[in-house]
Amino acid sequence: MDFNLTQEQRDIQKAAQEFAKGEFDSDLILELDKNQQFPLSMLKKAGDLGFLGVHYPEAFGGQGLGVLDNALIMEAFCRQDSGLGSALGLSDFGSEMLLDRGREDQLDTVLPDVARGERVLTAALLEDGYSLAPLQTRVVRDGEGYRIDGLKSFVPFGDFARHMIIVCQAGDQDPYTQTAFLLQRETTGVEITPVGQKVGMRMIPLSHVALKDVKVSLENAIGPEMKAHALLRGFLDKARIEAGAMGVGIAQGALDLAMDYSKKREQFGRAIVSFDAIRNKLANMCVDLEMARLMVYKAAWSVDCGKPDRRCILMSKAVGASAALTATNDALQIYGGYGYMTEGQIEHFYRDAKALSLFLEPMQTQKNLLADEMVGRT
Amino acid sequence: MEILKHTDEHLKFRERLRAFLEKEVTPYVEEWEKTGVVPKAVWKKMGEAGFLCTDIPQVYGGMGGDFLYSVIVTEELVHTRHTGLTAPLHSDIVVPYIAAFGSEELKRKYLPGCVSGEIVTAIAMTEPSVGSDLASMSTTAVDDGDHVVINGEKTYISNGINCDLLVLAAKDPSVEDPYRAIDLYLVEAETRGFEKSKRLSKLGWHSQDTAELLFKDCRVPKANRLGMKGGGFLMLMEKLQQERLMCAIMAVAAAEKMLDMTIHFCKEQHDFGRPLSKFQGNQFKIVDMATEVRLGRTFLEKLIADHMEGKAIVVEASMAKSWTTEMASRVADGCMDLYGSRSCVEEYPIARFWRDVRVMSIFAGTNEIMRGIVAKFMGL
Repeated sequence: MDFNLTQEQRDIQKAAQEFAKGEFDSDLILELDKNQQFPLSMLKKAGDLGFLGVHYPEAFGGQGLGVLDNALIMEAFCRQDSGLGSALGLSDFGSEMLLDRGREDQLDTVLPDVARGERVLTAALLEDGYSLAPLQTRVVRDGEGYRIDGLKSFVPFGDFARHMIIVCQAGDQDPYTQTAFLLQRETTGVEITPVGQKVGMRMIPLSHVALKDVKVSLENAIGPEMKAHALLRGFLDKARIEAGAMGVGIAQGALDLAMDYSKKREQFGRAIVSFDAIRNKLANMCVDLEMARLMVYKAAWSVDCGKPDRRCILMSKAVGASAALTATNDALQIYGGYGYMTEGQIEHFYRDAKALSLFLEPMQTQKNLLADEMVGRT
Repeated sequence: MEILKHTDEHLKFRERLRAFLEKEVTPYVEEWEKTGVVPKAVWKKMGEAGFLCTDIPQVYGGMGGDFLYSVIVTEELVHTRHTGLTAPLHSDIVVPYIAAFGSEELKRKYLPGCVSGEIVTAIAMTEPSVGSDLASMSTTAVDDGDHVVINGEKTYISNGINCDLLVLAAKDPSVEDPYRAIDLYLVEAETRGFEKSKRLSKLGWHSQDTAELLFKDCRVPKANRLGMKGGGFLMLMEKLQQERLMCAIMAVAAAEKMLDMTIHFCKEQHDFGRPLSKFQGNQFKIVDMATEVRLGRTFLEKLIADHMEGKAIVVEASMAKSWTTEMASRVADGCMDLYGSRSCVEEYPIARFWRDVRVMSIFAGTNEIMRGIVAKFMGL
């Protein structure tokens, strides 16, 4: 058993931390957060330096590294800033479905641009609720080709993405009979409506996507027809690990800020870090953070070893987001009144942590899935 | 048995107030959340309708009501789903300083305006480097004949932009004992040297004008001092009991409102083919929150009754402030989870509640300070 990162992983981690420290300007962050703007120029910079899609094969713009390497980068980004980090991290949302079963020409059309930070990919999964089988968005045969109708909710990037993956119900008999399609944003019949002002992760545009009589052919399908539910499941597992890593980063960032502030801030004639009440909070944050980090790293490592530990994967988003939420909440309390103010920075970490915990699926869903995994479905 | 005895007058007052808020406040809340301030005209309307400073005696223009009227105003305001029109801060936290410690002249001069809404008040204690440790404040009031000259900076002041009259805590640098050096002065907004410098952007309370206030050689008549010289710290300590109780009233009312909204949502919204309220996991979560809310309500009403009887409830009010405000945050969190991804969209009012309630664990003395007070009184 070896808990150490490899030298290469430590180098990647360090490079990502240095990049984020050097480039993530705090005034720019407040501005982007306030205006709900996507950090386009930062995406390009991160892409140029090779921080995006490191787990893609080299032939498709990646570095042939693992899920853990990608997780380390996301953690480092979110540690420096929760909002900017998560926006960069999710800019290739859905790419693992392509990596899993996409054809070479599909990968080639999408992934290199995404890895360079020039394009954004998204996947439309959720509908009105969290049920993913059966889906209400349906694909049916239509003459020579196929037709998609339905409504997808809370799609990240929406209008901003060049390509969008849509998972559809393809048969009535079995709720798991689904087909996934890779579409261009401009496809006729795809109508994108932004959801409006958001609580957290505001740099990521969020939209509802209406699909009306969208004509597709099997050329657009990712992997075999009717078999996409496994693809979706596999992707969600990767997304849980990545989201867990973001949570770990946010928690670490909150702890960094809280430690700095409590050393500087004096009340009653001494730095508040000398009070037990503050020290206990810092220690609790550290406990949650370290547990989450171990879990997320183990989940990522298990995937990279080719033996995915599904329980660990299902727990990773829950523990990462939960560590982020308690750490940002405690950090905000340590900051006091300043913590509640926008300029204190920590308030957006707090909002982003909450948004992360609700992104994709709430904690309850992960617990339900974990219980299914442990004792079987009932 | 009901702990608090609401008379017919109280019930009628609540109905009148609810109708007033539905007409004059609720329709405009979204706009105020964007502009960051509630127009002063609304304060005036509220005053004219008799909903401000209900406890002020009739001789100063008030209705001389008991504390239950204040409770009712605080509770009903929660239903407007915004915090900008902070009548409880004005009526039950700031104005009581004037009513309790002001000279007859000050009371005659200012109280009628406070009741009518002509005068909006604020209180300034916190400074950029002074929060919990009030005694170490650095804003000074230097003796100069009939006046004091004030210099310093206050921050996170609610009603900071709207205020016409400020209760300002400042220190006499010639007095060594920090607890005897603090005085409270009434400072009119138009006074030279008093500048409302910056409206602050924050996590929640978007419709509430929180501001930084600057004082530069600001001359205030000594006659505007509240109470005896050197009595500021004790006055603050005395009145903070009610301030903390107000926080607990706000917290419990907000938790009740959030839970109501969420229960309604869970009954309507289906997932996996059933209403969310039919899942045992969700049911138990809701039941646990409802239990906490009821515990909070029961404790709170006992304290309100004690407070109305004039009992000293410093310890219990501190406990209630920290417990109920943290409970409200827990409920907000749980409700957000039940709403799921939707709760992250501001269109759903639960999002605003979640952002708004978080400050309650910080203002009016952080919950750490509350625990410190209780520990001290317990002889620990």
